[in-house]
Amino acid sequence: MKWGGLVGAALLTLTLAVVLGPTRIPLGELAGSEIVRDLRVPRALLGFLVGGSLAVSGAGLQALVRNPLADPFLLGLSGGAGLGAVGAIALRLPGPWALPIAAFAGALAAMALVYRLALVSGAALDPRVLLLAGVVVGSFAAAITTAIVSLSEAEQLRNAFLWLWGGLSGASWTTVGVLAVYLPLPLLLLLGSARSLDLMALGDEPAGYLGADVTRVRRRVYLAASLLTAAAVAVSGVIGFVGLIIPHVGRMGWGHRHRTLLPVSFLGGGVLLVLADTLARTAVAPRELPVGIVTALIGVPVFALLLRRWVRA
Amino acid sequence: MGRSSLRRWTAALLILGACAPRHRHPRLVRAPSVTDDAGRTVTLAAPAQRVVSLAPSSTELLFAVGAGRQVVGRTTWCRYPPAALSVPVVGDGLEPNIESVAAVHPDLVVLYRSPSNGAALTQLEQLGIPAVVLRQDRLEDVARDARLLGTLTGHPAVGDSVAQTLDVVTAGRPPVAHVHIAYVVWDSPPIVIGAGSFLDQLGTLAGAQNVFHDLRPASAPVSLESLASRNPDVIAVVDDSSAAATPSFAQRPEWKAVPAVRAGRILHLPGDLFGRPSPRAAQAIAAFARLLNTAK
Repeated sequence: MKWGGLVGAALLTLTLAVVLGPTRIPLGELAGSEIVRDLRVPRALLGFLVGGSLAVSGAGLQALVRNPLADPFLLGLSGGAGLGAVGAIALRLPGPWALPIAAFAGALAAMALVYRLALVSGAALDPRVLLLAGVVVGSFAAAITTAIVSLSEAEQLRNAFLWLWGGLSGASWTTVGVLAVYLPLPLLLLLGSARSLDLMALGDEPAGYLGADVTRVRRRVYLAASLLTAAAVAVSGVIGFVGLIIPHVGRMGWGHRHRTLLPVSFLGGGVLLVLADTLARTAVAPRELPVGIVTALIGVPVFALLLRRWVRA
Repeated sequence: MGRSSLRRWTAALLILGACAPRHRHPRLVRAPSVTDDAGRTVTLAAPAQRVVSLAPSSTELLFAVGAGRQVVGRTTWCRYPPAALSVPVVGDGLEPNIESVAAVHPDLVVLYRSPSNGAALTQLEQLGIPAVVLRQDRLEDVARDARLLGTLTGHPAVGDSVAQTLDVVTAGRPPVAHVHIAYVVWDSPPIVIGAGSFLDQLGTLAGAQNVFHDLRPASAPVSLESLASRNPDVIAVVDDSSAAATPSFAQRPEWKAVPAVRAGRILHLPGDLFGRPSPRAAQAIAAFARLLNTAK
């Protein structure tokens, strides 16, 4: 029943995203419309993939660092991606894909640096050290970003920050295709660690007694969640709240078992982001809102309502 | 173009020379007082003789009203007119370094109206350095600010004549629009020029109708879908460099949904003339009209 509702919501939001837009297109002409085929459909699909990836990444990281505040950007990836993007703009790197590639490279560099720093605590990646390393690397990257921005021209600065606020305007069949090839590996890695993540909630030692290889699971979850986030940030900038809120909503409705929670998070994240993006495109058309603002505006009240119901029950 | 602009500056200097005796005489000059674009009243004891300009558009305007020799500081990006290049740089103008501004002992600082300049304004006020806040988005703003800077620097007549030239240009009847145009200033996310910008005005006066004229701000992020469905005949981009390379967004697959991009109908507006609102509006409109004709 609950599953049916979730899948139904996913289909409904995807349909809405294709039917609604700043341009009025009669229902009968949807199939033949170039705008629908080349802009709306890939954008809806990209939104779903990105929202789902962020939510799954958030669920994995919350379990990894045992902190309900964890979100995909907690571990310094947004700082790294921002540095890559701003660097690409400031250096005027040529080519149509310079910005997403530079952001992806920046996110991966931050990921590698955080990982290396966290290894100081030993191969098992102490969550506290991992968090600290993430915050430190993120701040460092943000500092360099600000230095570049304050040394470059006014217009570039504003544009770089707009990119960072997140948006799906770069959606095309090419980006959807790239993500469709890229995402299954990290998603399956996380799903494969579902049982170990459940055990790790009990604490490292009990998890070890019950057969979880804590060291390997931590590394695997960290790498997979980071790879998901890096891809999301490369194609859509830093979209907040999806990765923080959706896993909590998922736990309220579906419980703490990750074998369920991860797929639920994927669907829920996709629904929230596609819904938010539809609003971002249509609410103030022809203008467009940064989608991260809309995810917060929708996500936070829904979360507050659920939280009340959950605490009462 | 270089030679004609040189001639114009010579003319401006001649006008300045003609006006100079009247305005240099301290007793005849009343303490200049104006209301700036932030609604502040700016009163100087005497016309400013050491002006720091923290925006390219105001630097150009200061030279145009004949106050070029009074400019003692500029930003890195103030590169027009060429004579401005010999003025010392005091920073990049974004978050002004008040120490380097104060170091040239200005008696007037010209700031662009933006939130990031708020702190600088307070600091200047605390240091007792008069500052004037300008916001130039449309040609009327340039005309108003020409009068304002002319008054503050002791060249009210030149300021007035610059403003009048602009008034004539803006009051002119626009030709019937024969081209629909969209000005793309950024691609991720797509940002276009709206009615609040001088580019929209220059285009209208050159015979091009901005398809995003219904947007009131100078610029705004829009959805690519709106750009595709409003279907402009040409896409205009402002280029910093003189080499007009195809913008990289034109190669991205999602931009191909815009027919003008797919057909490669991109109009390159040179940045030195179209990069900011300027008193050279008549020249810009003529250049714009020529570009529109060659693009057809």
